[in-house]
Amino acid sequence: MLYSQGEMLEKILLLFCLSSALAENLCRPDASNGYKVRLSIKRALGDEAYVWNQDEMFLFRATLAFAMRNHLSGQDFQVSNILVCDETPRVSFWFIVTSPLDATRPVGKEDVEEAIRKSRSRINSAFLLTDQTLEFIGIIPTLAAPVSPDTPPWLIVFGVVMGSVGAGIIVLLVYPVVHKRLKKDEEEEELEEEEGEEETRRVKTMENGAAGDGAHNLSFTDDERFTQM
Amino acid sequence: MGQDARPNWDSPMQFVLACVSYAVGLGNVWRFPYLCQMHGGGGFLIPYLIMLFLEGVPLFYLELAIGQKMSLGSIGAWTAISPYLGGVGLASVVTSLYLCLYYNIINAWSFWYLFHSFQSVLPWAECPINSNRTGPTEECEKATPTQYFFYRETLNIAPSIEENGGIHGGQALCLLLAWVITYLFIVRGVKSTGKVVYFTATFPYAVLLIYLVRGITLHGAINGVKFMFTPNMEHLADPNTWINAATQIFFSLGLGFGSLIAFASYNHYNNNFERQAIVVSLINSGTSIFASIVTFSIYGFKATVNYESCLERTRVLLLNTFNIAEDNINIDNVFEWIEKLNTTYPEQFAKLNNKLEECDLETELSSAVEGAGLAFIVYSEAIKNMPLPQLWSVLYFLMLLMLGMGSMLGNVTAIITPLRDFKVMSHMSSELFNGLVCVFCLLLGLGFTTTSGNYWFTIFNDYGATFSLLFIVLIEVITVSYIYGLKRFEKDIEDMLGHRPNWYWKIMWSITSPLLLIFLFIIYIVKYINGGTPTYQAWNKELGTSVVTEYPVFGQLFIGLLLVSSISCVPLTALYVFCKKRKLGNHEKREHTVSTVSA
Repeated sequence: MLYSQGEMLEKILLLFCLSSALAENLCRPDASNGYKVRLSIKRALGDEAYVWNQDEMFLFRATLAFAMRNHLSGQDFQVSNILVCDETPRVSFWFIVTSPLDATRPVGKEDVEEAIRKSRSRINSAFLLTDQTLEFIGIIPTLAAPVSPDTPPWLIVFGVVMGSVGAGIIVLLVYPVVHKRLKKDEEEEELEEEEGEEETRRVKTMENGAAGDGAHNLSFTDDERFTQM
Repeated sequence: MGQDARPNWDSPMQFVLACVSYAVGLGNVWRFPYLCQMHGGGGFLIPYLIMLFLEGVPLFYLELAIGQKMSLGSIGAWTAISPYLGGVGLASVVTSLYLCLYYNIINAWSFWYLFHSFQSVLPWAECPINSNRTGPTEECEKATPTQYFFYRETLNIAPSIEENGGIHGGQALCLLLAWVITYLFIVRGVKSTGKVVYFTATFPYAVLLIYLVRGITLHGAINGVKFMFTPNMEHLADPNTWINAATQIFFSLGLGFGSLIAFASYNHYNNNFERQAIVVSLINSGTSIFASIVTFSIYGFKATVNYESCLERTRVLLLNTFNIAEDNINIDNVFEWIEKLNTTYPEQFAKLNNKLEECDLETELSSAVEGAGLAFIVYSEAIKNMPLPQLWSVLYFLMLLMLGMGSMLGNVTAIITPLRDFKVMSHMSSELFNGLVCVFCLLLGLGFTTTSGNYWFTIFNDYGATFSLLFIVLIEVITVSYIYGLKRFEKDIEDMLGHRPNWYWKIMWSITSPLLLIFLFIIYIVKYINGGTPTYQAWNKELGTSVVTEYPVFGQLFIGLLLVSSISCVPLTALYVFCKKRKLGNHEKREHTVSTVSA
């Protein structure tokens, strides 16, 4: 036993104070490995906005620890690895992530950025916010890919209109031709019928004359026919 | 003869509606409100109404009288009035041809916007995302989404008139549709046109009424209407106000194209066109005023929305820079906070200065736009902010279509009617002839769908019809008053109507209108000479805004060609007729001498 128990305790305490002091020095505005976060809760939720307090901050640190775990699988990030400072009434603050293996060493900016990008939607939904209302200054959100249908919708409407107009023109052009042809056919039929009736009438008068009445003089009826004109 | 009797309108109502449909066009919606705003709001109505009675109604009456009396299209009618002046009719036909070529492009744009309204998010409401998916496309970010949609996606516009790309496929399809529908409307001449105008003349009023109600109930609309109607009488002292009032009446009624002569030529000989002339002119001006109320309520709404988003952006900027809690600053006290923060944190505030925008409602309201920019950019911007934008968008572009197609009816009739009066053309069936005219105009119009097409469109729009019309109508009114003779004209009208025109009409035709037209004509010439090289607005992709550019040499030559080609018809035809008569005269003299010798 080189050191007594009291001296051991002192050393442990000193180390603890040092590490926490170091940790506080790690998190400050414009830290090289830190990011600024800004929340616009009232803008997103209006009347249903919740109040930002230490419990919400705890949730944030836990969510961020989850994001780091998700990205760097194997490393057990704890809530204590997420250091937060410079809170303002705007609801903005800076944070920095320290490695679970060494509390004095901050995790690189690129790793943090990748982790947040990967789990952005999970972080957003934990706070009922969106990419625009929960801002990580410096991390640009990836916008949703535009939905492009196979046939653009305007072409469909165009097709419908063009089709109906085309049909209209064809009807307008073809109808009178068809109408005329039908009329001509009708007229021809009527003409044939009339001619047919006249012939039967003429035949009848001849027969009447021939069968006849004894009173009728056959030769006269013949003459009558001719003079009928 | 080989030609059936001239077709007639089924009823005088059809004729009136056709004239209304033709005269009430896009200019009533997109030029008159602009003029009102530029020349002192409500005060502009005074010169406008004065000009209506000094030149609008008399000239309208004149054209209807000529058409109804001669029962021929413009070429035939003017040749009948004075053989040397048949060129006036020819100039009208040439000008109408130019108009037909470019006017249907506007209808094509209306179709394009109409078809694009059938989407859950209107395509001009948001910028498309760039390929990295980090933000909106650069061009769209510098300009606004509505401007981007018009210049990039609708026109795919080139940076200047000299650079040319290919034809825009979608535009070409829409132009094809516009011409097919035009053909459908005119395929049987007045028999089909007469039925169509019942719809094209009345539908725009229904939409305007709906929009009036919607517009007035919009947030901030009252700012716009107040702005427009506060009369600013000092503009009456500016001669430009009166000149613009005169030209607006003139062009708005569609005089000089030959459409009115063509429409009137299908009337029965004793139709009472005097009353109809007054009615149509009044309806036309009334519609302009009505449309400007709607436009100004939309302006007011758009200006208020822009002003409030400007305030919101300023609010967020202040909140973020000074880390103040969110509900301390709201839209009402933004300006107070700016003052407070300026005094408490001057250095920090100074750093903000270049990011801080000037938010002013007056500036927003006085940014006046006219023409296609108003119809397709400003209006669509306002529509995207309305609740249920798809419905309003469909209604609005349908209205633009009705206005445009109605005017196209008159334009195409002005070409077809005089040409069919020639014996050569009358042997063809009317369907085939009308189809040929439409196909011809379609093929030439495809040039306007290319990437630099919009700049050519502007050339036609600014120079194709303006100057030549003044010249044509001036010659018309001088011919009727002095060459044909006012007494003969009076007798013709008495023949048709049963009474002579009273002193008002005679004074207007012989003195006032010619003087006014000569005055306007001189002003135009002076403006052309003093204006220097003509310029146009070229869309600059990098800046995201329009830049004033001079026309290149071939552009200026083309402008000159446009002007000369229609005006020169008059002297050239007179020369041709003169030469033909002299040859005939010589021929007769020779025959005469031969016969005396042989006798």
